[in-house]
Amino acid sequence: MYDHHQKKAGLNIQQYIASGIIESYVLGLASPDEGGQFERLLPFYPELQAAVSDFGFQVELFAIQHEAPPPSDAFYRIEDRLRELPAVIRHTGTGSHRKKENDYVSVRESSTHIRVHKYWRIAFIAVFILSKLLLIGFIYFLLQYRHAERDLRALQEHTNKTSLSPDTQGSDK
Amino acid sequence: MVFKILYIFSCTLNEKPYNLEKTITKDTLKNELFSGGRPAVEILFHRYGGMLFSYIQQFVPSRAEAEEQLVSIFARLAPRMESAFESSLSVYCWLQIEARKIILENRSNGHDLLSPQESSPAENEKKVYYFSLLEDASPEQQWVFKELFVEGRQREELALVLNRDAAYVGDVLRECMIIIRKKLA
Repeated sequence: MYDHHQKKAGLNIQQYIASGIIESYVLGLASPDEGGQFERLLPFYPELQAAVSDFGFQVELFAIQHEAPPPSDAFYRIEDRLRELPAVIRHTGTGSHRKKENDYVSVRESSTHIRVHKYWRIAFIAVFILSKLLLIGFIYFLLQYRHAERDLRALQEHTNKTSLSPDTQGSDK
Repeated sequence: MVFKILYIFSCTLNEKPYNLEKTITKDTLKNELFSGGRPAVEILFHRYGGMLFSYIQQFVPSRAEAEEQLVSIFARLAPRMESAFESSLSVYCWLQIEARKIILENRSNGHDLLSPQESSPAENEKKVYYFSLLEDASPEQQWVFKELFVEGRQREELALVLNRDAAYVGDVLRECMIIIRKKLA
């Protein structure tokens, strides 16, 4: 199959690789014709696949050597931008079997976490502080009530005692 | 494969850690995408964000604009991470190509097309990313690479300025690619 295809194409694969097509393709600089031809040949030539893999590896090494730390808040900004997206749109492959570009992705929820808008944070803090204030108020008034109740009881006992004492009985007489 | 083995071997000799284990393969990405774990965009950003950030800076020298482009790229690619599986390239190379397309789409301040004689790149421009590999190239080769790669021009546009045909521009580009390949190897 492979020999047949090579003969049919009349292609010297090593010469083709040496022409710079691999680099053009990997860097995204191949013209549509060159790219199309390359993609047609790729499945039939393991040498092409190996050359693409090797050059891709060199590009990645070069990128690692030149790596610069991204801004610290960049990922939060990406997340914010993603939350603003109205819907997730799937872009399917090319070719005659290409589906509609605006098909929605069916999402299968498997995480136990949820994401909410950041305004909820303020709301949660406010509710938390308010509940604590109410709790403190409740405890304060409960203690006040208990204290008043105890005072009242003591006063009643005192009143009872004074009303039953002989001095008071004598004076009544 | 040969380069990978040589690289690991040279790292072992120099007692330097090599970063191959950090490379995200399509299988890793696919597993993460369908397992409901961390979103693929998060994995890709933490692994490739820094690499892509310096790549972007050859298109937009302003750091603030490069940051904005980085955010825009990941936000736009997040809903279509599955496209990486259809590509014949590695995940990082796919990311670079898609990033370049988005930058060229986003960028609106394109300048007028000047001839190679009129537009010699500044010294600091020559040292940025892929340009650093083309220091030995002729001014015409540097110009063709800059206009096609960084400015996103068409070969026909350059051919008009050079009074040649598009095939000639393609040949000059191929020469640039061969220089880059030799420098990277």
